[in-house]
Amino acid sequence: MRDTIQFLVNGEPARIDLGPGSPWRPTTTVLQYLRAHPEYRGVKEGCAEGDCGACTVVLAEDGTDGALQYRAVDSCLLFLPTLHRKNLITIEGLRATDGALHPVQDAIVRHSGSQCGFCTPGIVMSLFALYHTAGVIGRHDVIDALAGNLCRCTGYRPVVDAALDSCAARGPDHFSAAEPGVLRALGAIPSDDMLIETETQAYCRPATLAFALRYRSIKPEAIIVNGATDVALRVTKRHEQLASVLDLSGIAELRSLRVSPAAIDAGAGVTIEELRRVATGRIPALAEMLSVFGSRQIRNVATLGGNLGTGSPIGDTLPVLLALEATVSVSGPRGERAVPIQDFFTGYRSTACAPDEIIVAVHIPIPPQGTDVRAIKVSRRKELDISTVSAAMRLRTTGNGSVDEIVLAYGGMAATPQRASATEAFLSGKPWSRSTVEAAMDAVANDFAPLTDVRGSAQYRTLIARNVLLKFWAATDGKEGAAS
Amino acid sequence: MSMPLLHESAVGHVTGEAQYIDDLSHPERLLAGRVVYGPHAHARVVTFDLTAARSIPGVRAVLSARDIPGENQVGPVVHDEVLLADDEVTFIGQAVFLIAADSDELCREAERAIAVEYEQLPAVLDLPSAMAAGALMGPPRRILRGDPAGAIGKALHRISGELETGAQEHWYLETQAALCVPAEDRRMLVYSSTQHPSETQTLVAEVLGWPRNAVEVEVRRLGGGFGGKETQANHTACWAAVLAHATGRPVKIRLFRDDDMIMTGKRHRFLSRYEAGFDAEGVLQGVAIELNSDGGATTDLSFAILERAMLHADNSYFVPDFGVTGSVWKTNLPSNTAFRGFGGPQGIAVMETIIDRIARTLGRDAAEIRRKNFYRAAPADTTHYGQVVEDNRLALIHDRLMASSGYTQRRAAVAAFNAGSAFVRRGIALTPVKFGISFTTTFLNQAGALVHIYTDGTVLVSHGGVEMGQGLHTKIRGIAAAELGIDPARVRVGATNTAKVPNTSATAASSGADLNGMAVRNAIDTIKTRMSAALSEKLSPGAGGEPSRAADLRFAAGRIVDSVHPERAITFDEAVRWLYLQRIGLSAAGFYSTPGIGWDRDAGRGTPFLYYAFGMAVSEVSVDLLTGAHTVERVDILHDVGDSLNPAIDRGQVEGGFVQGLGWCTTEEILWDARGTLMTHSPDTYKIPTAGDVPEDLRVALVDGVPNPHVIRNSKAVGEPPFMLALSVWLAIKDALSSIAGHTVEPQFSLPATRERIALEAERLRRLA
Ligand SMILES: Cc1cc2nc3c(=O)[nH]c(=O)nc-3n(C[C@H](O)[C@H](O)[C@H](O)COP(=O)(O)OP(=O)(O)OC[C@H]3O[C@@H](n4cnc5c(N)ncnc54)[C@H](O)[C@@H]3O)c2cc1C
Ligand code: FES
Ligand code: FES
Repeated sequence: MRDTIQFLVNGEPARIDLGPGSPWRPTTTVLQYLRAHPEYRGVKEGCAEGDCGACTVVLAEDGTDGALQYRAVDSCLLFLPTLHRKNLITIEGLRATDGALHPVQDAIVRHSGSQCGFCTPGIVMSLFALYHTAGVIGRHDVIDALAGNLCRCTGYRPVVDAALDSCAARGPDHFSAAEPGVLRALGAIPSDDMLIETETQAYCRPATLAFALRYRSIKPEAIIVNGATDVALRVTKRHEQLASVLDLSGIAELRSLRVSPAAIDAGAGVTIEELRRVATGRIPALAEMLSVFGSRQIRNVATLGGNLGTGSPIGDTLPVLLALEATVSVSGPRGERAVPIQDFFTGYRSTACAPDEIIVAVHIPIPPQGTDVRAIKVSRRKELDISTVSAAMRLRTTGNGSVDEIVLAYGGMAATPQRASATEAFLSGKPWSRSTVEAAMDAVANDFAPLTDVRGSAQYRTLIARNVLLKFWAATDGKEGAAS
Repeated sequence: MSMPLLHESAVGHVTGEAQYIDDLSHPERLLAGRVVYGPHAHARVVTFDLTAARSIPGVRAVLSARDIPGENQVGPVVHDEVLLADDEVTFIGQAVFLIAADSDELCREAERAIAVEYEQLPAVLDLPSAMAAGALMGPPRRILRGDPAGAIGKALHRISGELETGAQEHWYLETQAALCVPAEDRRMLVYSSTQHPSETQTLVAEVLGWPRNAVEVEVRRLGGGFGGKETQANHTACWAAVLAHATGRPVKIRLFRDDDMIMTGKRHRFLSRYEAGFDAEGVLQGVAIELNSDGGATTDLSFAILERAMLHADNSYFVPDFGVTGSVWKTNLPSNTAFRGFGGPQGIAVMETIIDRIARTLGRDAAEIRRKNFYRAAPADTTHYGQVVEDNRLALIHDRLMASSGYTQRRAAVAAFNAGSAFVRRGIALTPVKFGISFTTTFLNQAGALVHIYTDGTVLVSHGGVEMGQGLHTKIRGIAAAELGIDPARVRVGATNTAKVPNTSATAASSGADLNGMAVRNAIDTIKTRMSAALSEKLSPGAGGEPSRAADLRFAAGRIVDSVHPERAITFDEAVRWLYLQRIGLSAAGFYSTPGIGWDRDAGRGTPFLYYAFGMAVSEVSVDLLTGAHTVERVDILHDVGDSLNPAIDRGQVEGGFVQGLGWCTTEEILWDARGTLMTHSPDTYKIPTAGDVPEDLRVALVDGVPNPHVIRNSKAVGEPPFMLALSVWLAIKDALSSIAGHTVEPQFSLPATRERIALEAERLRRLA
């Protein structure tokens, strides 16, 4: 079993020995590692929690289509073992060998897109990943690519202009030419089980689910990570030393994604971004919700399994999955079992996944014709923010417009994501009209007793929970914004 | 004239090659420094024990106030701020101990090993409590003209109210950082992310008990400052210096983001009260404003900030009888400090609220009310503190912007939209800014520079200003090149260093280019005079011919030409080589002090400003009444920068300032809990604008044809004024809310207009409507 990781940095082979005596820990972040090297100090730390993007780097790896796939990620939340079999591209790798600036760098210079410059390397890396994204790139894509990059100086306009400018006429860059070689080099690195055991830490990164399950049953105390966008904060913000970690991110089986007309079957390791892509056009409400999930950098690593595993009352996939009546598959020594999502959350940040089990997949039914699914997220800021309240609704009405079936699920209103059962009962069978919906708004207030916290007061939460019903009504009635 | 120069560090920025403090190559034997603060907003330090922490291998120093070799004092104006708490802590985030160790991790381990016992004392955590307790930071200030109470009493209409404006975190991307390197002969080299190198030098010297000539501060660039590093960068430098002194080794401190947010001061929150009287046409007769600011635990720059708020409470409007009083109150929170606008935004927000209310009271459009109240012909051209508003561009900008933004038609379109929309409302507002340029503390209006011309014709310029992203060095480079008549590529602007240019003022008050640009020109003039005297002889034809006169020599296009005999010319490079051989000095220091300004603080009278900068914005928003979410649909800005020194950089300042103001007005909310702990201590909960918050339709223009004769190359300062243009978004949101009850009910409104406040107020108004 290996305790060395092998990867490329800007196309050059690199390895880090993480075994006993290594100066690095398996939970050292890529940002910490890079910044410890004078030649890689272009990457910056602005927050160490995934909220500013100053630390953005790009990971390139073999995509499904045999071409390299470039993903912008926050290096402050990335543990070193995740680099295994990837090409880590840093700001230092962007200039061509003759020193010429990359088109995105050049555009930022020309558009005066930097002022103090501290955010700029991260912004360049986000735009570099965008540059390597297929398809026509419009303003919306640029804003999306930049949602995870804070700039306090420029007001963003010149950055957006630079992005549009450089992506308008994209041609091959020096990375395109190097692709075959990079793919070969990455392909030559074995994907085998990794087990790092030092005096202070045990870190297991299996290549197969079977191995992971075995390890889980011997070491139920190991903290599972996949994207680590939640767990890494314990290291970077609370300075905990995680004694024992089971990292699922190397398991190909968990990344399977199958789509049929009836359902999306997603492995627990499918990233939020991958899920967003398949949900687009299939389950618009889910796709919309996922498009305001974190930032591009976060979505590129955060997983569906992680969102369920956190069991947070404000996990953004959860109200939609509740409305869609998804099923969660967990696997363990007693075999695999399917848990209906409404039974999955057992309390504040606790779930039905037992300490010796692993979430392996989620079955997400695609709503049939005639069933309307809607979702909304309310947060302090439009982008890259945690929900104050989130909500989703599934609705089927009868021919005469009365409520045949309704599911209303809320996040941020209770200790777990939860359905508004009294409201559902109230609405059931009644006409789906503004007056019934307004009457139901009082029922919602009875379904929940939310808390006041830094993201919003109880009064505000209750108000949104009520108003969301009206929004859903207006949306399904096709009359949003219409006169009362 | 304009010089479209790109930012001097642009390539460094995009390649990551531009270095900030934390990127500097590590000196040998570098130690990590850490600052330890306590968990109580107000407490007595009963006892502490550092022995366990000190005994950890690899921990090189653990210090308390008693270990400071010099003075335990870093108050920049009033000496009321200790570097390390001694027997009392007065806010959460106040430094109590310092640690230097081989690694950050060891520092943290040492921190855990420190034993301290506190005795909690009562804490004052908000303005109303501070005011109730009479906890004044110093005597209140007053500016008065006429008899406001009498004028308000006699006016046809009267309004009164209260306005809260919130704190704001600077959120410079680079947190506070300093690297201190002890050098031979008891010297200290300080690399600091400071806006005020000379003050940092002074305080480092004082805490070490050393003379100032033993301390050298160097600043290459800041990863953002915005006022947050005007005084509060000093602390980090002083902490690192004390640790470096104690260990004899280089020490670097870079505050972790959360620590930075917890430990450092913010924009002052204000609680303001106002009363105004106006006539049937909405013309102001009398206004009385009372400003109360939350100073935090120590004075810092609070009085200068309050003063600027008082000097801007008129914004752009003439009020015949006008009184402004101001008080700074003391609370157990970090000392609030400079932030772009320096009190201006807080003062202006009050006056704009008054104007907005006049419009609602009279059922008139607010833009029209604004136009009527602008400063205009004498006697309506004089501010409440007696300065005449010269080169007044208010009417000009207003009329151009009303036309270019299509305000009138859009106002009608907004009303039509709202008539047909239940859950989404639109709002539109125009707001002006008139911003006084100069430090109101008159002696600060001075600057120095040092210019060297080397024998190959390249130029190195040093000046007292700090490059923090605002493009100062780029502008200076342009100024120097233009004055010498050479290609800007031949000019380099060096790192700011107290050993090169001494006794400088902070780079603040938007004055960086005005003051330092003049000082650089002054230095260059000195050299040019010397050069011209010698060159006029060289260029003269000798016996018989008419000699060239020094005064006729012109420096342009890389040559020096006798303008009377244009065939007599020499290239700059050749001239420099020749002058060197003639033993002519090619280096000079320059100095500038702003003429004609003065301010009598006690009388509340004077001419504190050299000139005013003007600008206006029209913003349109749509507001989702059900969630409180708003979208800025379109913004039109017309801003006056005189003859721009660099249009791309000036536009960047306008847009960047506007977006920062947008954050203050909307999403940025600072929350403390009942113990005085900052709850919004990271970007997870503190939300500055992202790219998606900036309107797609953003139309920014600089007013053309308005040279400013007072300043270098007819330009105008631009750093701060645009910040206040974001008040147009704030009032557009209020306008949208106001439509719910048909503009008949005054919305309860404060700043920031967060989604929560918007939604709750929309609900209240819906129930009233
Ligand atoms: C800046 C930032 C923004 C964010 N924005 C959002 C947002 O908008 N909406 C939102 O919902 N969340 C958000 N999050 C939280 C986080 O990204 C999500 O919860 C994400 O889905 C977690 O996935 P992960 O793979 O990174 O989880 P990890 O951190 O790897 O794991 C999270 C938890 O799930 C458990 N777990 C992971 N995989 C499994 C498995 N297969 N079986 C059992 N347990 C498992 C882990 O033990 C851990 O307790 C944000 C986080 C950050 C840092
Ligand atoms: S440092 Fe801010 S996102 Fe990583
Ligand atoms: S340029 Fe300063 S933060 Fe972006």
